[in-house]
Amino acid sequence: MRFAFDEDQRLFADALRKMLAEQCTASQVRAVWDDGVGHDPALWARLAEMGVIGMLLPETDGGLGGSMVDAVLLFRELGRAIVPGPVIESMAIAGPVLAGSKWAAGIASGELVATAELDGTGHVPHASVAHVVLTPEGLLDLAGAEIDDAGGIDGGRRLGIVRGGGLVDHDGRSTADAVDLDAARDRAAVATAAYLIGASEAMIDMAGEYARQRHQFGKPIGSFQAVKHLLADALLKVEFAKAPTYRAAWSVATGAADVARDVSMAKALANEAAHATSRAAMQVHGAIGYTWEADLQLWMKKVWALERAYGTTSWHRRRVSSAVLSS
Amino acid sequence: MDLTATPEQETFRAEARNWLEANVPAEPLPSFDTAEGFALHRDWERRLSDGRWSAVSWPEEYGGRGADYLSWLIFEEEYFRAGAPGRVNQNGIFLLGPTIMEVGTAEQKARFLPTMASSEIVWAQAWSEPDAGSDMASIRSTATRDGDHWVLDGQKIWASRAVWADWCFGIFRSDPDSERHRGLTFILCPLDAPGVTVRPIRQLDGDTGFAEIFFDGVRVPVENTLGDEGRGWYVAMATAGFERGVSLRSPARFTEAAARLIELWRTHADPADLALADAVTDVWMQAEGYRLHTYQTVTAMLDGTPIGSESSLNKIFWSEMDVRLHELALDILGPEAERMHGPHERWVDGFLFSLSGPIYAGTNEVQRNIIADRVLALPKGV
Repeated sequence: MRFAFDEDQRLFADALRKMLAEQCTASQVRAVWDDGVGHDPALWARLAEMGVIGMLLPETDGGLGGSMVDAVLLFRELGRAIVPGPVIESMAIAGPVLAGSKWAAGIASGELVATAELDGTGHVPHASVAHVVLTPEGLLDLAGAEIDDAGGIDGGRRLGIVRGGGLVDHDGRSTADAVDLDAARDRAAVATAAYLIGASEAMIDMAGEYARQRHQFGKPIGSFQAVKHLLADALLKVEFAKAPTYRAAWSVATGAADVARDVSMAKALANEAAHATSRAAMQVHGAIGYTWEADLQLWMKKVWALERAYGTTSWHRRRVSSAVLSS
Repeated sequence: MDLTATPEQETFRAEARNWLEANVPAEPLPSFDTAEGFALHRDWERRLSDGRWSAVSWPEEYGGRGADYLSWLIFEEEYFRAGAPGRVNQNGIFLLGPTIMEVGTAEQKARFLPTMASSEIVWAQAWSEPDAGSDMASIRSTATRDGDHWVLDGQKIWASRAVWADWCFGIFRSDPDSERHRGLTFILCPLDAPGVTVRPIRQLDGDTGFAEIFFDGVRVPVENTLGDEGRGWYVAMATAGFERGVSLRSPARFTEAAARLIELWRTHADPADLALADAVTDVWMQAEGYRLHTYQTVTAMLDGTPIGSESSLNKIFWSEMDVRLHELALDILGPEAERMHGPHERWVDGFLFSLSGPIYAGTNEVQRNIIADRVLALPKGV
């Protein structure tokens, strides 16, 4: 029994955090929003070079051959910096499904960008920046497809409506039958939970910083108990979503019997923590929090997009419920 | 990361389970906040101690097993699974004991720890005063030096277990010119010493679980000072750290209660009531989340990371979860929950007891201030 990450896992996450602090700043994220594409190819190349994109791909595909336990802290760091583009879709969904196929090496090297659409919405996140889309029907090659921009509340996750494109073979597994969609959805949910936790930690930091600087009634607003308690309650939810998320990563990595229950518990708790944190952080910012100018909006909108992707809170709660209440 | 138990841990678990199955009383004991129940709980503690199960994480020389914190968590899981009695000497074994091990002299360890492990001496805590509750640094009870004795004067209140306990521990102002956190000394005092008057206070649940303690010229030898003179606040904070950290409310208490809640839901609730099913699921997730969080914290402690202000997060989390869990049980029982003495007495008692959680050991509002100041680094307020 040892509920801790090993030194390599922690050092890799630290290195990623440091890189992102320099190369994925709020103004860079804002620039990605403003260019209307929702993707930063230079940053993507850097992530691939570090091995982040290929963490869950086998070494024979140019990946690092890691498990979800190796990857979960990376997702948290990607979320802290709200890295734009299909990191969750490439790393956690399409990548492992395409392992061993002719597409895998390109995904690991960053030259081929894969996304995924598993929620049956009719729009594809990150469609305009991706080469292939994993769908429940199979793998869709976007070469020659027409993509209409459907916007998206999060400018780092633009949605596209795809017309055309063709289902293609990925080494004899071209049909939906060959893909374990439940496992792919579980990986997506854990990755998203960790990403939401990282984004929440960043919002608490931003709100704390604002509360130290902003003065009213002659005092920093962070000295008022009403403000302190808002942020303490947000932190409480975030801190108690972490261990369940790490446990879910372990259950995915080891194929534990309770994996569905554990994954859903993580996503439900991370959703709630991230949503509550977005509300608290905005309230602490006051009117500034309601502006386009404040960076907080970039993080809040990321949360509002991802808390409903790969299973809403109530969907996941029902899945936990059927696991724990059935005798 | 490896979330499976080692063979040694499984062996330890089996040993604890076997002993508890053979020894736990078949019928629940009366409340330890009654005269009869207190005596029966002391007997139970003695039996635990004879089997060396009363303080498993203590060193063997003081009656423990030298078990690490992970093993302690396993023991707690088995303890609650077996439905074993509440720990009447919790103030001693889980609060004062670890503090004596940290700051006590060799003589104090030899004198106080073995009798604590066996519950020959049951301890009460004496922190709060009428004007020093959340603002504990306003303590006014005094300790005046007279040769090789302290003379204690003043009044303590909300002293848990003081009605039937043997000794108490608390902090007293030993420097009359001092203010706030300075000039306080941590002193251990027998409750049958001349000049001590204990006045029971009846709690919300009708029992006398706490009391006022009046000190009127009580003479205590200076050997009963724990830690340095004038440093009592910091000694007490070490105790409060343990109390709010992991030892006061081990996760097993809540995972076991959540399992009982689910059983109650299965036998009493309408499964078509999805709002109720969701609420039960939420509280199960909280109990399970607290268990996982504790395993993570304890692994970090074994790696040498001390538990700090984050323990305030734990205290808020488990106390609010406990209230919610019992509220839900009463909701499932519906009008049956009005009945105090009946088949569901344990849930009604548990509900009343849970309401003390957000208040004692530092109110949850004080805990939120601590988190804001020390974890979030927000500016100090009032």
